[in-house]
Amino acid sequence: MVKTALEEFAFLIPLLPALAFAITFFFGRKMPSGGAIVPILAIAASFVISFMITLGLLANPEEVVNQSYSWFAVLNIGILIDPLAAVMLSMVSFVSLLIHIYAVSYMSHDPGRARYFAETALFTAAMLSLILSDNILQLFVSWELVGLCSYLLIGFWFEKPSAAAAAKKAFLTTRIGDVMFLTGIIVLTSDLLKVAGGFQEGVYLLRFDEIFSYIPQLSALQLNVFGFEISHLTIITLLFFGGAVGKSGQFPLHVWLPDAMEGPTTVSALIHAATMVTAGVYLVARTFPMFIAAPDSLMVVAYFGGFTALFAGTMGIVMNDLKRVLAFSTISQLGYMMLGLGLGTAIGLEAVGISLFHLINHAFFKALLFLCAGSVIHAVGTQDMRELGGVGKVMPITAATMTIAALALAGFGIPGTSIGTSGFMSKDPIIEAAYLFGEHSSNWIPYIFSIAAALLTSIYIFRLIFMTFTGKPRSNYHGHESPAIMTIPLSILALFALVFGAFTRTGFMNFLEETFANSFVNLDIGNLAGIGRNELVEAGGHEPLIVLWLPLIVALAGLAIAFVIYYLRAVKLGALASMKNPVYRLLYNRYYQHQIYTEFFSIGVVYGVIAFLTQVVDVIVDSIVEGIGIITVGVGEELRKIQTGVVQTYATAVIAGVSLLIILIKLIMEVL
Amino acid sequence: MTAIPLTFYLGLAALLFSIGLYGIMTHKSGIRMIMCIELMLNSANLNLVAFSSYTDTLHGQVFAIFSIALAAAEAAVGFAIFMAIYRMHDKINLDELNILRW
Repeated sequence: MVKTALEEFAFLIPLLPALAFAITFFFGRKMPSGGAIVPILAIAASFVISFMITLGLLANPEEVVNQSYSWFAVLNIGILIDPLAAVMLSMVSFVSLLIHIYAVSYMSHDPGRARYFAETALFTAAMLSLILSDNILQLFVSWELVGLCSYLLIGFWFEKPSAAAAAKKAFLTTRIGDVMFLTGIIVLTSDLLKVAGGFQEGVYLLRFDEIFSYIPQLSALQLNVFGFEISHLTIITLLFFGGAVGKSGQFPLHVWLPDAMEGPTTVSALIHAATMVTAGVYLVARTFPMFIAAPDSLMVVAYFGGFTALFAGTMGIVMNDLKRVLAFSTISQLGYMMLGLGLGTAIGLEAVGISLFHLINHAFFKALLFLCAGSVIHAVGTQDMRELGGVGKVMPITAATMTIAALALAGFGIPGTSIGTSGFMSKDPIIEAAYLFGEHSSNWIPYIFSIAAALLTSIYIFRLIFMTFTGKPRSNYHGHESPAIMTIPLSILALFALVFGAFTRTGFMNFLEETFANSFVNLDIGNLAGIGRNELVEAGGHEPLIVLWLPLIVALAGLAIAFVIYYLRAVKLGALASMKNPVYRLLYNRYYQHQIYTEFFSIGVVYGVIAFLTQVVDVIVDSIVEGIGIITVGVGEELRKIQTGVVQTYATAVIAGVSLLIILIKLIMEVL
Repeated sequence: MTAIPLTFYLGLAALLFSIGLYGIMTHKSGIRMIMCIELMLNSANLNLVAFSSYTDTLHGQVFAIFSIALAAAEAAVGFAIFMAIYRMHDKINLDELNILRW
């Protein structure tokens, strides 16, 4: 009975933060510390409800929370809390709560903090609504709302031109993905109407259970492109993935995420590390049955994910800005999550488990990394690692928690046992799955990508640790340890980064496997994989020892490299890290992607095309418009001669008209 | 008592109306045109009174009285305008008053 009573409050999860947004937005300026207490309490309540529902689901994963309200005759708004949504809800509300508490101190000197807290509350509301929506349209609406909040918060210090530019860049880049996502929804809707035979009142076709029940029919629809038969399902899922690429910062749309670090560090931690950027991963996980039933879609996801993991890692190595390194790290880790999902082509539903597990663990340790960076920036006042150094002496708690987060990110743990950091517990299964995939299909590219990215991860994160916390100060700064309200969230997150993975590993995976078999949807994933021509292999466990140990070996190697270069300073960096080194220059300029996108594509291609089209439009449209004008004037010239000015002419015309009318009426009466 | 049939009144009114119409369409003098308009109005009045007597009600007669009052007002305004025009042009030839055309 307790559980059913709780379900009644499920709608409060997004509603309370939304109310908090309204209160803080209008009255926050008059409250102490920007009205932060309102969102904190609201999000705390959301967290409690989410957590209780998650506990209820853990006891009985079959009975998911599902409430549906009619919006239009054929569209609904609804709540769906299944294992997948439950873990996301708990994580998002929990991380958001900690970051809000931390921000009370972090933002204490900012005059715009009421606006800050209002916007983060709105963001949390939108994100929670995104997670618990039971249909694709509501998900899309929330998806756009979190995008808006991201834009507002990146441009929080909008008086800085770089922040305004970064906000605009983030908005426009993610918009490309969003348009693809929307196109996918439109194609999906029209196909559903085709296979379901039109709208029916009270049947909500865009609900996930309806969509999933039509997967075989959708898959049967074929489109002929250049002689290739492509399933409509593949097109729809690839368009969805396009949306995920934009939101989750995958190659080639990742360019906005490093620039998004212009916002407050707490925003980076909340939106651009832990929650919003994982919405893309969540979307793919949520529609996973569609992806696995679509031939080739999951392979695309795997390749993009693996490549992004490696690609972002290479750039992370050369960045000098504390937060930029973390931004590239986030992109790289999101690549891992996508890779994990993509490997569903070999391991089936388990892919959702390992990917989401990495997502949750990553949220903890990456939020922690950002908050630690924020702590350093708050105390020291610079985020350029070349000016830091030796911060560990003045900020011991921050240094310790950040080192824990770094260990978790690099994935330190002992293979074969349950001793290890969260990152180890979740990243290694992805790498092992990549190995399984390679063994099964003799396609080793994802495995090579993931191992190489693991090495890079270890190098860049320990480079950051050594450059920031060890050695002698390289500039004149006056640091001090942050107050307790900041270090307590750090400590809590550090605890989670250390032990969450080890404690929940098997339970989490089993829980997530229940996502697509419960009272809401009941799918046979193996069957769907058959539709998508994906051959599933039996779960691993028989990999050679080297495969189990290799991730740890490369992580240690990365640590050693960073130690030698940045702690011992045994290698002369001057020659290596200079603009004369073409590799360094390429990496430092982020593969010139900004130049390619902005100067070549935007200015060259888009502006060029627009300029050309403008001329075409000028010629065609102008001639039409001017032609209409000339015709009108000419006709007017002729017609005005009717206006003789002679009264008799007018009178005659009136009389003729009236007579004609009478005759007409008479005729019509006769006929009728 | 043998009453005059309604058709006779209507025929007379139609005749009057046509005369007035012909006058308007052919004459150029303002005075004549106003007289023709009066003729047309009165043909309508005749119709009203004829119908009134035919249906044995008073509506038509009341209407006719209003119509006569209207005609008087119209004539007053019309002649006032023609007076003004006469002072400017020394004649009332409506054909020549065409400055408002294109």
